[in-house]
Amino acid sequence: MYRLLFLQFLRSRAVLASLVLILLLGVISIGIGHQFLSQKKAAIEQVESHQKSHIERNVALHKDDLGLLMYYVQFAFVNSTTHLAGLSIGQSDLNPNVQRITIKNLEGQRYDTDLVNPMNLQSGNLDLSFVLIYLFPLLIIVFTFNLLSEETETGTWRLVSVQTSSKSKYLLTKLSVRVLLIYAVLGVLFTVAKIVLAIPLDLNFMMVVLLSFLYVAFWFALCFFVINYKKNSGFNALLLLSIWLVLLILLPAGINAYLTNKYPVPEALSTMISQRDGYHTKWDTDKKETLQKFYDHYPQFQEFGYPIEGFNWTWYYAMQQMGDDDSAKDTKALRKKMGERETASKQLSAFLPNMHLQLAFNELAGTSLNQHLSFLDATGDFHEELRLFFYPLIFKEESGDSVDWTKFVPKYSDDGKDDKTQLRFMWPLLIATFIMFLGCIIIGRKLH
Amino acid sequence: MIITNNLTKKYGDFTALDQLELSVKEGDIYCLLGANGAGKTTTINLLLGFIQPTSGSAFINQLKVEENPLETKRFLAYIPENLMLYPSLSAVENLDYFSGIGGKSLNKSQLEGFLEEAGLQSGAFHKRIESFSKGMRQKVGIAIALAKDAKVLLLDEPTSGLDPKASNEFGHLLQKLRGKGVATLMATHDLFRAKEVATHIGIMKDGHLKQQFVASDISLSQLEKTYLETMDYKTLVS
Repeated sequence: MYRLLFLQFLRSRAVLASLVLILLLGVISIGIGHQFLSQKKAAIEQVESHQKSHIERNVALHKDDLGLLMYYVQFAFVNSTTHLAGLSIGQSDLNPNVQRITIKNLEGQRYDTDLVNPMNLQSGNLDLSFVLIYLFPLLIIVFTFNLLSEETETGTWRLVSVQTSSKSKYLLTKLSVRVLLIYAVLGVLFTVAKIVLAIPLDLNFMMVVLLSFLYVAFWFALCFFVINYKKNSGFNALLLLSIWLVLLILLPAGINAYLTNKYPVPEALSTMISQRDGYHTKWDTDKKETLQKFYDHYPQFQEFGYPIEGFNWTWYYAMQQMGDDDSAKDTKALRKKMGERETASKQLSAFLPNMHLQLAFNELAGTSLNQHLSFLDATGDFHEELRLFFYPLIFKEESGDSVDWTKFVPKYSDDGKDDKTQLRFMWPLLIATFIMFLGCIIIGRKLH
Repeated sequence: MIITNNLTKKYGDFTALDQLELSVKEGDIYCLLGANGAGKTTTINLLLGFIQPTSGSAFINQLKVEENPLETKRFLAYIPENLMLYPSLSAVENLDYFSGIGGKSLNKSQLEGFLEEAGLQSGAFHKRIESFSKGMRQKVGIAIALAKDAKVLLLDEPTSGLDPKASNEFGHLLQKLRGKGVATLMATHDLFRAKEVATHIGIMKDGHLKQQFVASDISLSQLEKTYLETMDYKTLVS
């Protein structure tokens, strides 16, 4: 029976064309993911050699003046990219995964980004998560919208009704053929992705696969729910496409607009201004006052006194420090609001399977906003560590030769990229799919 | 095998079928004649359980259709005016498919045997249905009934649109099924075919069964005259 159901379904050229198209798009999306990972990998590979030559060049030029040397020297802080990021790029193409930090004020450097083609940003990434979240539902709609109506419209349903003992069971068997085919396509794409992107077979990958299969099940259940109302093909297609539009385009856009209005971030601008003012106005401020504020922040350096005659590095780095101190309030508010936006997004996404899946994918792949915010926090810690090491050496007017530069290799941040095995990712999808199935069972009884 | 007691179907104020009393025994071929809207298809739909009666009841093999829709279908085969099959599947595959959803698993020789018994040329067994004529599709329908070992065959205008040869072959097939004890109820406009194949004939008009008689008791010309009179086609009778 299954053989014939597959034959009947697969002998349609439109079905074959759809399957080939989705496979092709899936493979292209994996290719895009591979390209993204390659670019990141190439950038990271260059970091070590670049840092070494960069430090050597600057030490050779300014080794007698450590304060001047530290004005120029940058230290790489790398946000490791997981292989899963190739499946779900998220916003990681917007945010640099390598920060080159000097010990000057942090806020002026923390948000530096790579130059990106704005056209690419506008169109977004065709990664596998996009294909799965946006295009698979369309394919599921195409495969199922006329599951029942086609039979009533072509006249086979009357004969089927006489032959079968359970119409619901017959429809479910027909549906299962489509489910198996879509799952097979999904399985092929994940296998290709695992090989091409060299994704380790860890819990995060398993969770991505599991969530994807659940998401597909949700859409099948939704389509089955609609087609069980026994409307004509045109109505089913229109209704399902409208649902697709609402779930995948309108509601996420609405939620985004709501969150942007509920959590506005004027601090994004005010942080920059207060940081710049905090530093620049200090050129015209009494040096002692600047140094006093600096020692209030770092009392351990008070021993270096209040040199106020002419230019000196203690005063200069104290001025740099003031940029960070004066913008600290705005920075904290910005960080808090970004966190609140992310939390609210997650809460609302519990009611929207596609949005939930995208956020879950990003989190599992280490490309979520939260993980980027964690990287920015870690960048702050890294910067502080550098300051605390170099400040006393600069203030003591040590030379560049007093530092063992070989130990300053690029540092890697792995924050928030551990195995995300929490079942919390599954609940919203499980509940949504369960509700849909329940609806199908209730409506399906009418078919008997 | 088929019994209706005061079977009535109303759609609002319109009575599609009014207190139909009918009985078709094992091995009988009962032809229901009547113009469009006479209630023939309504009768078949009620027997199939596709619609529910307003009052009265229908029985298939002593089971009330309304109360046992699934059980009664086990005894039934049905061929509508335009039997629609899956165009992308061959005759053998369609037969296998429809037998399969009925829970029957048949091997290749059994499937071909039923198609042969239904009179389909062997060269067409493995051709896709999309290239089949209506007569060929009806034969596949008969093969489905044969494979199901149906006790009751419901036919709704099965010879409409068939050429005389195909219609004649179809008549022979019905006789063959009669020999197997199948009770057949056939709605048709074709008086000639009804007279040729039927054991009993009924004439319906406006939801009423106006006349019924044993087919062998009446000649074709008498049948034609009675039919036209029943339909009030007086000018044509003279």
